[in-house]
Amino acid sequence: MPQVSAGSTANRVSRRVALGALGAGALAWAAWPRPSRDRARAPRGRKVLHYWEKWTGVEAVSLQHVIDEFNHSQQRLWVVLVPVSDISSKAMVAIGGGDPPDVCGLFSYSVPLYAEAGAAMPLDEFPRHDWCGQDGYLPNVWKLLTHEGRPWAGVNTCYTLGLYVNRAHAREAGLPESPPRTIAQLDAAADALTRTVARGRIERAGFLPTLPLWWPYSWGVLFDGRLYDRQTGRATADDPGNIRALEWISTFPRRFGREAAGAFAHTFSRSTHSPQDPFISGRASMIVQGPWLANFIARHNPGLDYAVAPVPIADGLPDPDAPRGLVEADVLIIPRGCKDPEASWEFLRFMQRVSTQEQLAIAHCKSSPMGGGETSPKFLANHPSRFVGVFDSVARSPMADSLPPTRIWPQYADMLGGAFEAAWRGDDAAAALRDVQTRAQRLIDESVKMRARRAARGGIP
Amino acid sequence: MNTRARTPLPGRAALTALLWITAAAYLVPLLVMLTGSVRSADAVLDPDAPILPRIGDAAQAIDNYRAVWTDGTTDFPTYLRNSLLVALLSTIGMTLSSACAAYAFARMRFPGRGPLFVLVLATLMIPSTVIIAPQFVLFKHLGWIGTFRPLWVPAFCGGAFSIFLLRQFFLTIPRELDEAAAIDGCSRAGVFWRIILPVARPALVVVALLQFIGSWNDFVGPLVFINQPHMYTVSLGVYMYQSQHGQTPWNLSMAASVIAVLPVLLVFLLAQKAIIEGVATQGLKE
Amino acid sequence: MSGRPDHHARTARSAGPPVAGSAAAFLWLAPWLTGFAVFLLAPAAMSAYYAMTDYSLLEPPVWIGAANFAELWHDPLFWKACRNTVYYATVSVTLGAVLSLCVAVLLEMHVRGRGIARAIIFLPTLVPLVAAALAWSLMYNPEAGLMNRALATIGLPKINWLGEARWAMPALIIMGLWNIGTAVVIYSAALRDVPRALYEAAEIDGVSRLGRLWHVSIPCISPAILFNVMISIIWSLQVFGAPQIMTEGGPDHATYVYQLSVYEHAFRYGRMGYASAMAWLQLLATLGIAALTLALSRRFVHHRGAA
Repeated sequence: MPQVSAGSTANRVSRRVALGALGAGALAWAAWPRPSRDRARAPRGRKVLHYWEKWTGVEAVSLQHVIDEFNHSQQRLWVVLVPVSDISSKAMVAIGGGDPPDVCGLFSYSVPLYAEAGAAMPLDEFPRHDWCGQDGYLPNVWKLLTHEGRPWAGVNTCYTLGLYVNRAHAREAGLPESPPRTIAQLDAAADALTRTVARGRIERAGFLPTLPLWWPYSWGVLFDGRLYDRQTGRATADDPGNIRALEWISTFPRRFGREAAGAFAHTFSRSTHSPQDPFISGRASMIVQGPWLANFIARHNPGLDYAVAPVPIADGLPDPDAPRGLVEADVLIIPRGCKDPEASWEFLRFMQRVSTQEQLAIAHCKSSPMGGGETSPKFLANHPSRFVGVFDSVARSPMADSLPPTRIWPQYADMLGGAFEAAWRGDDAAAALRDVQTRAQRLIDESVKMRARRAARGGIP
Repeated sequence: MNTRARTPLPGRAALTALLWITAAAYLVPLLVMLTGSVRSADAVLDPDAPILPRIGDAAQAIDNYRAVWTDGTTDFPTYLRNSLLVALLSTIGMTLSSACAAYAFARMRFPGRGPLFVLVLATLMIPSTVIIAPQFVLFKHLGWIGTFRPLWVPAFCGGAFSIFLLRQFFLTIPRELDEAAAIDGCSRAGVFWRIILPVARPALVVVALLQFIGSWNDFVGPLVFINQPHMYTVSLGVYMYQSQHGQTPWNLSMAASVIAVLPVLLVFLLAQKAIIEGVATQGLKE
Repeated sequence: MSGRPDHHARTARSAGPPVAGSAAAFLWLAPWLTGFAVFLLAPAAMSAYYAMTDYSLLEPPVWIGAANFAELWHDPLFWKACRNTVYYATVSVTLGAVLSLCVAVLLEMHVRGRGIARAIIFLPTLVPLVAAALAWSLMYNPEAGLMNRALATIGLPKINWLGEARWAMPALIIMGLWNIGTAVVIYSAALRDVPRALYEAAEIDGVSRLGRLWHVSIPCISPAILFNVMISIIWSLQVFGAPQIMTEGGPDHATYVYQLSVYEHAFRYGRMGYASAMAWLQLLATLGIAALTLALSRRFVHHRGAA
């Protein structure tokens, strides 16, 4: 039992008084009616739309500029930006609970899930007005916005990866001026650029695929491996190209020492982009990264002499001049059950203007997702990265791939990550991928069965 | 108590030192939080920056806390108010309803009292997160998603530990007090209100404090049941500082964390003894 | 442990005046009974039904019998989540029990200012989980985190605590050890209640100090140990917040614990039925383990006054 402890009674009483006063004061403050800040800021008479987005920091600031522009462009609506983390599940919870936001920013991998679960509204049900539709987007981006032939989302910037090369290191090692184009050249350059010290410890990495490893599933496409067959709706994890890619991955721990390579890569975190970033600090000579890295180089090490090229591809592929890579996008959906879909649609259309997307792309240091013809010279000229054209060429490339259009892709991607780890550990890459294929296909079959059951009950098609 | 004499031992100094080193280690994460909250975003990630805050950090500290407090995309004053509202409501509910149940268990005879009390204790064994998914569906049907109700209404039904603690305390109150009051014409509710509750105030304070802290610190409840930003609790608000995309502003998330910790810290400083003694009773069950 | 409550309970049973009737008692219990039925029984029953359905939250559930359980059986991630949870629970419960006992013994040494030490060690249990998780994430930062700075000081290589599969779970377990305050306080109170006479008798018999700890203290506080171990098993089996905030189950599913999987299926993949099936298995497993612990404890826990 809480023993009433010895000690001065006065002291105890004054504490009790303090606690009581604190509680009463807190309750009064909390219960005092006051509109929350975002409501208070909205001008009278405007309908407030809540727009959930996963971005914070610099990316959110530039998005806010765009939103301000929208808010001032008309008199009826007022969009409030809400940063939400773990947004893919938070939005699903909110929509499922009947308490959704009005517009929601997701990653493109969520589009099939949200479409099939009936959590998003199809955009072709709205009057088109000034929306560009299919022709306004890069084909690789349009694929990400649609599911089974219907558009479910607008785009909100897209990105691909490129190979960053430290030119000073390359010169020093006597390598050619132009970045490697093929896997063989990349391997040779990696060997020439890697510096080890006593007991094989890596002091400077030429190239390590685990650094920073944004997408462990993206190596197959460099060998023309595909992750999914859109015609048959089947996973193709054990595509020969994917197997070759992981076999290539498994050569790295053999060449540089698994422990050494692991120890080196693991001293860096993936997304902080601080001055300690391996490429910015010059501890890695070549790295596969997104276009945004240019922004951080300019900030932390503006003197760095580097070049960017499409990620090298396997030798002997057809059409070797077309860059390969995966295209991913951030997307905007209109949640089912939102209070005024027409209003949400108006804002979403605003976000799909070429000028808006180019403005965001410049601020986020990404290439543009919009593709009504050639990329505008003005966009390229204003872009903070002089290498944005490289990423643009990948995003436009007919040989580039986009994510498999299935709701189970997040799980499939996790499995492919596991296969990458297995290859890195030295396990049989082909066996690992065959295992992924079986498991992923089982999930796909389950999800198809599930949809059939729902369709039979007259649910959402 | 605590007056047992102990002979000085060799190694006692070493053990004392060990205790203090342990205690110091337990402060480190809080120190990291505090230091991070007064640094610039870059300095937080600088491996050579000093570990302790310095006087020179004051200006940056003010900047950080002001940024969190007045940030355009988050609204910490509102989150704090929401947390306070939920925590205080559930504290009132938990204390009152647990006291009622504990009163019944301590003072009344009715069929099934023993098994029912065992049932109360058994609910301690049920992992609360196991039930959260179906609770979500229940609240959805009740139309409670998007309100604070899922966070405080269940507290008005009492909780196993609170009932247990209060029952134990009520049993120590002499029945003669009740009887005297009853002779004076006091009803059962009157006895409860005029005799039991005032006498049991220390125990009630413990129950209230623990519930306040538990409710303030709840993460899963708000994560699942609260969606709209103007209804975030502090925990959820801090969580939203975690970025999925782009950079985590470490200095700001640390400042936000400090803001979340401060109220419980204040309560702890004022009522340390009651809280610790209340927690200690958890282990004393039969 | 004070004997007073029991004494009074006994008087209450035998000598208390008869009450007006059980209806009044149930009126006083009404809030708890309502809450038990509405917020616990009803969801549990609903969950048992949903476990047999395919339910996306947005559409009415479709009955599919035991298909969810069959799918679970074939889902390697389900088994991975089970293994991870057992790993976390086993290591963190064991280490937590040992560490909290040691700290409690240290605290009961009557050194100067131990109240402050106890308050400091208890303090972390009051820190909101989100704040704690963020602070620890910063401590585990591979470049500038305090953990790696400490390792560097003693000449050890850096570790990417949360970024490397084999270190992520130990990192979470270490963070969990920061939260032993409740157990320490309970052990402290129990140690203080050990009758002095027992120590004195042992001392007269020439039992060493360590021997007294082992043969007197530990048996005397075994009910408290049982309680703490039970509670920490239950809590560690449902660990969720720290992995959700710090690692999201990664890297390579190294910290993908059971509750994370339930949450993901219910709220991220829109599969409430599958999640309910998992939740039911978890409930049964937890109750089973609790029952097993109680049964085992009969052999080891020393009950004073049982004689």
